[in-house]
This record gives sequence, structure tokens and C-alpha cells, in this order.
Amino acid sequence: MIGAILKRDLTLALRSGGAWLHGLFFFAVFIALCAIALGGSLNQMRPLAPALIWLAVIFSAMLSYPVIFQEDYQDGNLAQLKLSSPSLMRVTIAKAMSFALLSIVPLLIATPFAALVFDIPSKTLMATLISLILAAPALTIYGVLSSAILAGRRGGGFLIVLMTTPFLIPLLIFGLGAVDAYPESGLAALEFRALIGLSLIAIAVGVPAATAALNANLE
Amino acid sequence: MINYLANPVRFLKFSKFATPIFGILALGTIIWGLYLALIKSPPAIEHGESVRMMYVHVPAAWSAMMAYTALTIASLVSFIWRHPLADSAARSFAVPGAAFTFLALVTGSLWGKPAWGTWWQWDGRMTSVLILFFIYVGYLALWQVIPERKRAARLASILAMVGFINIPIIKFSVDWWNTLHQPATYSNIGAPGTAPEIALPLFTMMAAYSFLFGWLAMRGIEADIVKNRKARDIIKPAATPIIETV
Repeated sequence: MIGAILKRDLTLALRSGGAWLHGLFFFAVFIALCAIALGGSLNQMRPLAPALIWLAVIFSAMLSYPVIFQEDYQDGNLAQLKLSSPSLMRVTIAKAMSFALLSIVPLLIATPFAALVFDIPSKTLMATLISLILAAPALTIYGVLSSAILAGRRGGGFLIVLMTTPFLIPLLIFGLGAVDAYPESGLAALEFRALIGLSLIAIAVGVPAATAALNANLE
Repeated sequence: MINYLANPVRFLKFSKFATPIFGILALGTIIWGLYLALIKSPPAIEHGESVRMMYVHVPAAWSAMMAYTALTIASLVSFIWRHPLADSAARSFAVPGAAFTFLALVTGSLWGKPAWGTWWQWDGRMTSVLILFFIYVGYLALWQVIPERKRAARLASILAMVGFINIPIIKFSVDWWNTLHQPATYSNIGAPGTAPEIALPLFTMMAAYSFLFGWLAMRGIEADIVKNRKARDIIKPAATPIIETV
């Protein structure tokens, strides 16, 4: 079931003419805008770079949140999946996985290039990348939750940002804390463990909540 | 008690008495509390007259938290038993809750100017109250965008419960972030249990805010019940026959 949904979503994305890459372009645009706004001096931007990359990832993820369930809800696929699946939670998990693969992983792959643009040392890049990878499950799940709550609503963009911001704030805090702590304590830094904890809480709370929201929307 | 009141008709009967009592208690304690706070209590040694801001600020922040807890309990009841009265309650708790949060932010900022010399300080408490305000706004906005009432109630209750689980996490992370980036610069005189001439007006104001919250919530629930009843009772006009004459 999960495999079939994943395969279907990936095929649809590959045939969509590159719509799944929009988040990546947004990421690049955001980085470029930051560089322009900050005056383009590398010395000035280097200390800010991890924060800017984190913001770019978070905003890009937020803007792709509405897409997760919108289309499937509107064309009735979701109702069919609910009917044919032994439990709706599997659909939620499959959708979370395909979102992570199509929207979050490209951002992670693009992060080293953003690091090149800001000319940050490889150690900082390593820390940023690891913190983003550890936060990726939470980033995904809160998106799935908010998208499930707002499935099929028009103009949910601003509302989705408003709804998910409180949940993403701890990620941002601990993610950048991890980048700060990495040079001293490496992977043993407390912040990395906190990020793992946040991701696990997100999975434990967010998957059932998103399933309940989908159920409410399909009633 | 709760079982008894779960029926909207009985609730309206009860609220007919209870709401004015809450209102009168709120009015009385606000007047008495303000007298104690603004006129009778002494100025603090360190803060001077600006300490009087505390008597409106601390209860506001406290009732904002209380309102969110009440909202979560109502959401839980609404989610499990799908009771329409719990939906009304949750929604009616959210509006005064958001207002109290906003009030706490504004009074905190006004107090910050004389106490710290800035209108805003990115310290743990102010930041987490600001985030609580965002949570309230997101919750209320969700009610706005979903036209079907039952569905809106169910989705909003899910959001409220997930938000409640996240509040301690947010609070912890913001405190942690704050100690990392800037040491706390404020003195902690807001803590109750200090001198009785400060504690008494503070507790009176806390009671006043709680009664006010109760009154606003009861009024909100009453209005919601009446609105629902009206929406249900509107009799749709029979279709007017169209006679085509050629």
C-alpha cells in the first residue's frame, strides 16, 4: 500500500513537468534575495549563512505544504484511498514519505551549493546539513498535519504558515544551536539529540493527528 | 454537573443565573482590585510607580495560559464525544484568550520601557507569549476558513490539542535559546508570595481576570447556541414555481 502510493506520487511528480522543483527554485531565490539585501559581502554574510539556509529551507517547505493533500482531496483520490486501504494512517505515512522525498530531500541536496555561495567552512556546512537532516522528519510531519487540516481549502497558503510556525520554532532554535555547538562538541552536542527528540515527538503526535484530520475532512 | 449542563437548554437555564453572577463578580473585583493596585499599594523600591503595571500584566499573562488550558480541555471533550456545546465552549474560550495574550504583550511592552529601557526584549517569557498569540491567531483563523461548523470544530480541536502538547516544548526551547544568546536582565519581582501589600492586589486582580474570562466565555457560549438555533430554524422558502409562457 505504502509502496504503491509512493510509486504513484513519484511517477506523477516526474511527469508533472518539473512542478516538484518549484520549492528548490524558491530556495535559490530566497538565498539570492538574502545576499542582495545584505550587501553581498561574504565576510558579513558568513556568520549569518547557517541561519539564512535554515530560513530558506523552512520557508520553502512551508510553501510546498499546501500541495501535499490538495490535489488528491479535490479529485477524489483521497476518498478512494480511504475506502481501499485497511487504515488511513498508512496513507498518511505514505504521503509523508513522498513529500519528504520530493520536497525536503532536494533542499538538503541543494544546501551544500548554498554553502558554496556563502563561502562557509566545511565544518559549519556539515553541522548545518546534519541539523537539517535530523529536523527533516519533523519538518515533514508538521507539514502533513497542517495540509491534512486544510485539505481542499482555497488560499490556505498564509494560514498554513501561521499554523505551522509555532511548531517549527523549536526546530529552528535547536537547529541553529546545534550549528553553534558543533565545532566544540561535535555530534555529541546536546542540540542534535534535542532535534532527534523533536522529530520523534512530531512523528508520534503528528501522524495520528493528521490521520484524524483527514478523516474529519473525508466524513 | 457537566453531564447535566451538556444539554443546551439546561445550559441556557443555568447560564441565565450564572452569567450575571460572573459579570457582577468581575466588575466588583476589578474595581476593588484596581483600587488596591493603583491607589492603596505602595510603590516598589526598585521599580517605583511603574510596578503598578504588574497588577494588570501578570493576571493577563496568567489568564491567557488558563484560557488555552480550558480551550484544550473543551477540544478534548469535543473531539471524543463530538458534543456541540464543547465546540461552542472551545471557540468562546479562544477569543478572550487571544485578547488576554495581546493585553499581556502590550502591558509587558509598556512595562518594559521603564523597567528595562526598551519596548521589547527578546527574553524567554515575552517570546513564548508572542508565540502563544500566534497559536491563538492560527486557531481562530482555522475556524474562519472552514464554513461547515462540525468539520471546523473537529479540525480546530485537533490543532488545539497538538498545540497544547507543543506549548511546553516551545517554552523550553525559547528559554534555552534565550539563556544561550542573552542573559536575562530583568529582576523577578513579578513572582507572587512577596510582601502582602503587593500580593493582595495581585491576587484580587487575578480573581478579577478569571471572573471576566468566565463572563466573556459564558456570553460567547450563549451567543453561539442562539446563533446555531437560529441557523437551524430558518425555514427555507418553498421553491417558487416558474411557469413558462411562450
